[in-house]
Amino acid sequence: MTETTQTAEATRPNRFSLRSILNNAGIGLALLAIILFFSIFTEHFLTANNITNILTQITINLILAVGMTFVILIGGIDLSVGSVMAFAAVVAGKAITMPGMGDAELIILAIVAGMLAGVVCGLFNGVVSAYWALPSFIITLGMLNIARGAALHISDAQTIYSFPFAFEEFGSAMVYGIPIVFLVALALVVVAWFILNFTVFGRLIYGIGNNEEAVRLAGHPVFWYKVGAFTICGLCAGIAAIVYMARLNIASPIAGIAFELNAIAAVIIGGTSLSGGRGSVIGTLLGAFIIGVLANGLILIGLNDFMRQMITGVVIIIAVILDYYRAKYASK
Amino acid sequence: MTPAVSIPAHEPEQPFLLVRGLKKHFGGVKALDGVDFTLSQGEVHALVGENGAGKSTLIKVLTGVYGYDSGMIEFDGAPFSPATPNDAKQAGVQVVHQEFNLLDHLSVAENISIEAMPRSRLGLLDRAEMNRRARSAVESIGLTDLDVRAPVSSLGIAHRQLIEIARALQSKSRLLILDEPTATLTERETRRLFEIVRRIKADGVTVVFVSHHLEEVFEISDRVTVFRNGITITTENIPDTTPEGVVRHMVGRAVESGAAASLPKSKIGEVALRADGLRVQASPDTAPISFELRYGEILGIAGLVGSGRTEILRSLFGVDPVVEGRIARDGREVRFKGPKDAIHNGIGFVTEDRKDEGLILEMPIAANISLVNLRDVARRGLINFRQERQQARDGGKRLALKYGATSDPAASLSGGNQQKVVLAKWLARNPRVLMLDEPTRGVDVGAKFEIYAILKRLVSEGVAMLIVSSEMPELMTLCDRIMVLSKNEVQGTLDRDAFSEETILRMAYGQEARAQEAGQ
Repeated sequence: MTETTQTAEATRPNRFSLRSILNNAGIGLALLAIILFFSIFTEHFLTANNITNILTQITINLILAVGMTFVILIGGIDLSVGSVMAFAAVVAGKAITMPGMGDAELIILAIVAGMLAGVVCGLFNGVVSAYWALPSFIITLGMLNIARGAALHISDAQTIYSFPFAFEEFGSAMVYGIPIVFLVALALVVVAWFILNFTVFGRLIYGIGNNEEAVRLAGHPVFWYKVGAFTICGLCAGIAAIVYMARLNIASPIAGIAFELNAIAAVIIGGTSLSGGRGSVIGTLLGAFIIGVLANGLILIGLNDFMRQMITGVVIIIAVILDYYRAKYASK
Repeated sequence: MTPAVSIPAHEPEQPFLLVRGLKKHFGGVKALDGVDFTLSQGEVHALVGENGAGKSTLIKVLTGVYGYDSGMIEFDGAPFSPATPNDAKQAGVQVVHQEFNLLDHLSVAENISIEAMPRSRLGLLDRAEMNRRARSAVESIGLTDLDVRAPVSSLGIAHRQLIEIARALQSKSRLLILDEPTATLTERETRRLFEIVRRIKADGVTVVFVSHHLEEVFEISDRVTVFRNGITITTENIPDTTPEGVVRHMVGRAVESGAAASLPKSKIGEVALRADGLRVQASPDTAPISFELRYGEILGIAGLVGSGRTEILRSLFGVDPVVEGRIARDGREVRFKGPKDAIHNGIGFVTEDRKDEGLILEMPIAANISLVNLRDVARRGLINFRQERQQARDGGKRLALKYGATSDPAASLSGGNQQKVVLAKWLARNPRVLMLDEPTRGVDVGAKFEIYAILKRLVSEGVAMLIVSSEMPELMTLCDRIMVLSKNEVQGTLDRDAFSEETILRMAYGQEARAQEAGQ
């Protein structure tokens, strides 16, 4: 009996301590409290329609934040995801509006092209920042401009539209009131959770964030793991682009401006340390929900969008202060 | 009324600085355990002792960085207990640290004036006055050819050192403490430094000189004080003593070698690792290093901190590039592009710094142990947690690791057990060559001997071992041969019957001409 308990407990990987579970539980409790608050003080919050709304609204941020989690776990940051998403959308938009092909081929082509565009940008971010050991903050700031410029250039600053019907259909489809696109995001969370917790790659992502030198001296190619993290982040931006197109039925070169900030906020509110090595993608999921639920609920109780923005800012700062205490506690 | 102090006859009537019974504890560690120390005005006084003897702590107390627990200090006849570095500076006590405290991107003049920038009437920085002061400060130490407007980053190490000294001297300076000032200087730069020391001594400044290089101590100092384990061993006039005498005082009692004798002698096998004419990145201009390491043998590398010991291990392991020379593993020439290649060639490397290089403290014990062995516990990139746990348990049992659960973070363990985790990590790979850098640093005595026993057992199983250590008794207990480094160069290699702490230290301090290379 003792043996089984121990096994069950130890099988939970990256279970650095009971505390990290409490951390996620803490974030979950905060989310529940917020939901409870809005349920009591607004009429429309806890309705099927509104829940569908919230799920739709957080989808893109959640997808971007999943990729961002990998980068932040290795101690980096990716400021380019909003621009990369626009670039990938424009590339996919060009692909999907090509003449002389069937709808199915066009859709597949667009999905592949969009994801590839994201991967290329992420690869660039990773290779440049890891090879020259440069701060990813600056490199991805450069990419933020490169990708945005490329998106505007390729599209002649024009919004691309009129996509195949099946593609637009996918963007608004529901299963029991749950948007399909949200299920895509949720699937990404599950995949990321699996990678981070059960694979050698995920283990070493945490390792690099905690102590890069120890991982290097253990003979692991740290360079490629870092490139991998940025590439995953780029891939997620590509997927976000496809979802965005399917939902809005356009590909705009000015989409996704400042989206990187919400993605980073979701990761940080979710308890992932900005200095890397500590955190989880489940936290990111909860963080994205907190941002989305706050955005939705604060409007419902009658605050305007400016005040909503202020409160979101306060929540980010509180999350970072909480992380300071977590780090302090953990180092004891 | 100050406590009555009996001053030995040969000491001056009115000491410039008087330290009596000074004690300073850090937790359970007695850094200073009753230090007595006097300075006469205008002398150059050398402080020597092994690492951890208490020199740095004494300097930090005198310069207001640390307080002290008990004892007394009198400076120029008045009680002295600086609460902050600024207090000490106000009293005229200046220190030049071994590591530089210069602001690289600011000019020489700005650095020299950093403590008190001259202001114009409007409260703005008076650049002309600042440069003038800086020029007179650097000229006073004989640097006439230096542009004080140049950024510090454009200067060499030696000049930076001199600028630190100029900065220390331009404020009213009565006692100048030089903490290992020559560690990074070349012979010629050292000469120049000594000229400056003589000049400021002639100006009436008292100088405390901390050095690992005894020939320098004997060249520049009037008196020398030897510390050991936080206690003053002796103060002697330089003309009345010899470098050998000083080394004897530093080492203290004869070291018991009984523990070493009781260990079984292992069978020495083929050459496992050979370095031939090795030059490493950290010191590409020194004489090349060659050695052989055989299976079943422990070769120790002795030398002072900074003598290039760790750099050799890092280059052998493929972390730092090899500038020149050949490395052969089992007689076959190898060239490691990175740690991965070294590991594939059966080499393990227990690094010096557990916290920075050895362990991922926040991660579970099992994850730390599997870090170099993920191949063994993972299939197609997926980790098998049952196998990983088993590996950790096996490794833990082999080394008598004391832990709660394999899922506890490594940070939850004591120093000795943390070190065992690092060992377990490498042993799980069954390395044929194991390199260890300071294998028992920060480890309590009990765990230390356990680790010795583990290492000895490994060697008797045929592992070839290379150990870097600052602890002479450790090397003398464990090693079959000891190679002694001084300033990145091999001073000689001693066989077991030639081991003596005194000989090793003399060689490490560059006191002994190259000892005869021990025969293979």
